[in-house]
Amino acid sequence: MSLHDLLLAPFSYEFMRRGLLSALLLSVSGGLLGCVLVLRRMALMGDALSHSLLPGVAAAWLLFGTSTVALFFGGLIAGLLTALGSALLSRLTRIKEDAAFGSLFIVFFGAGVALISRLPTRLNLADFLFGNVLGVGPEDLWLAGAVSGVTAALFAVFYRSILLETFDPVYYRATGGRGGLVHMGFLTLTVLNLVAAMQAMGIVLALGLFLLPAVSAYLWCDRFVSMLLLSIALAMLGSAVGILLSFHLGLASGAAIVLSLGLVFVGSALFSPRYGAVRSLLRGGGRLPGT
Amino acid sequence: MTTPSHEPGPRPRGAGGPTPLVPFSLLDPSDQNIVLFRGATVRYGRLTALRDITLDIRCGSSTAILGRNGAGKSTLLRAVLGWQPLNSGEIRIGDAHPQHARPRLAYVPQRHAIDWDFPITVRGVVEQGRYPSLGLFRRMGRDDGDRVDGALEELGISDLAHRHIRMLSGGQQQRTFLARALAQGGDIFLLDEPFAGLDLFAVEELEHILRNWESQGRTVLAAVHDPAIARRCFTRGVLLDTGLVADGPIADVLSPANVDRAYRREHCAHEGRPRSALTAEAER
Repeated sequence: MSLHDLLLAPFSYEFMRRGLLSALLLSVSGGLLGCVLVLRRMALMGDALSHSLLPGVAAAWLLFGTSTVALFFGGLIAGLLTALGSALLSRLTRIKEDAAFGSLFIVFFGAGVALISRLPTRLNLADFLFGNVLGVGPEDLWLAGAVSGVTAALFAVFYRSILLETFDPVYYRATGGRGGLVHMGFLTLTVLNLVAAMQAMGIVLALGLFLLPAVSAYLWCDRFVSMLLLSIALAMLGSAVGILLSFHLGLASGAAIVLSLGLVFVGSALFSPRYGAVRSLLRGGGRLPGT
Repeated sequence: MTTPSHEPGPRPRGAGGPTPLVPFSLLDPSDQNIVLFRGATVRYGRLTALRDITLDIRCGSSTAILGRNGAGKSTLLRAVLGWQPLNSGEIRIGDAHPQHARPRLAYVPQRHAIDWDFPITVRGVVEQGRYPSLGLFRRMGRDDGDRVDGALEELGISDLAHRHIRMLSGGQQQRTFLARALAQGGDIFLLDEPFAGLDLFAVEELEHILRNWESQGRTVLAAVHDPAIARRCFTRGVLLDTGLVADGPIADVLSPANVDRAYRREHCAHEGRPRSALTAEAER
């Protein structure tokens, strides 16, 4: 097999070009968003959020068929309901926010699976959960472009607010910032990006495209800007490699992308010269707890 | 900054009812007071966190806010910052409501509130001090850069500017955040437990900085846990026990009688009622 067959030939198919372009677009917004999720310790919350989209998507499918717009708003509503619902629960009851999120998302996810199992069409649950690059249509591409553009533009305009609110929310507030607004903004953007990535990556795996490059970049960078840029670059690299893998090996595209990004992550976690595990072990012991 | 020649003694509180509200115009004929509390009261649900505080903070003074845990130190700072709504009473910065005086207020958070693994350098932190006045769209200009350099210089961390914040000693970390407050360009500095977790050397360093700031006429208001450190590093004090126990020169505020009143009844919290309520009743 020549290099051409390996790297370029797959993209003579239109669905491969669409899949790649969609993944690259979402790498930009996902790479940015992932950094914030990692630094704000919202990684698990993002995971819960992604699962909670399912009933919205399934209900939209049931009511409106395959319309991308309907799927988008279905997922968006379900995700925002989970986010707002758990915020309200943690404020009005004694339940803490993580427990509220954990409980609500599993209920939502259950409802989604139930809805899908009752669907009359021969809808493949696996495609919803794990993604199918074949399913990326022209509208999905437009959606990915729009969501990615909006996310990147918001990051550019609110860069300082995002940095301050993430690094030192108390100071941000003391200087007149509205931290709650920024937080809700993140949740909304996360839901938007998850929905946009759903077709190529699947609901369950989409978060991998956001999180893994960000965690990897976190292990290499000492500046916020460089972490953002490296995260985007890694997300793009992982997407391209993953889509090629999925083509050649017949893997689910979401899984293939997550696995390539996972390789980068494990490599970084082990061998990052400053913050890797190997270096810690060589220097004798890990870090003190809480430092 | 001129300091007034007469020092009013500590004003013991507790006897009598709540201080009557007096119009600001009648209370401060001079411009020497910069932060004014008039009957400021804060409740969290049924718990009173700050009870009827009437108090003036001198312009250019360095004041320690003292009291045990839950005595209202943080609540007082938050109220000055304008993000703790008062149930009654009023707080003014100069003649403005705290929310309209934000550019004047430079806040320094507790050290343990910071994620020291965050990817940011010393200079990156200090630059944040310029963000509020830059808004969303303006770029960092030469003037902003000069202010950042000046702040780094003044606190002696210029040569650490490009270091990651994890690679600093506790004292250097504290100085980084003081530099951010300086770069912001305010004239009132609000410090939340600046001495918490500092080693002996770093405490000395910070003492030196605070004394320096005081001689330059900067107003510092700091929540301080440890009376001994407050005595060392501050000229004036405010002793809280949800209500105001005393305020004035630090030595008078920390008289044995006052300390006894504010700190002693630490161990009677089993009655199932908020400590502050018990204390306040005992004072009636």
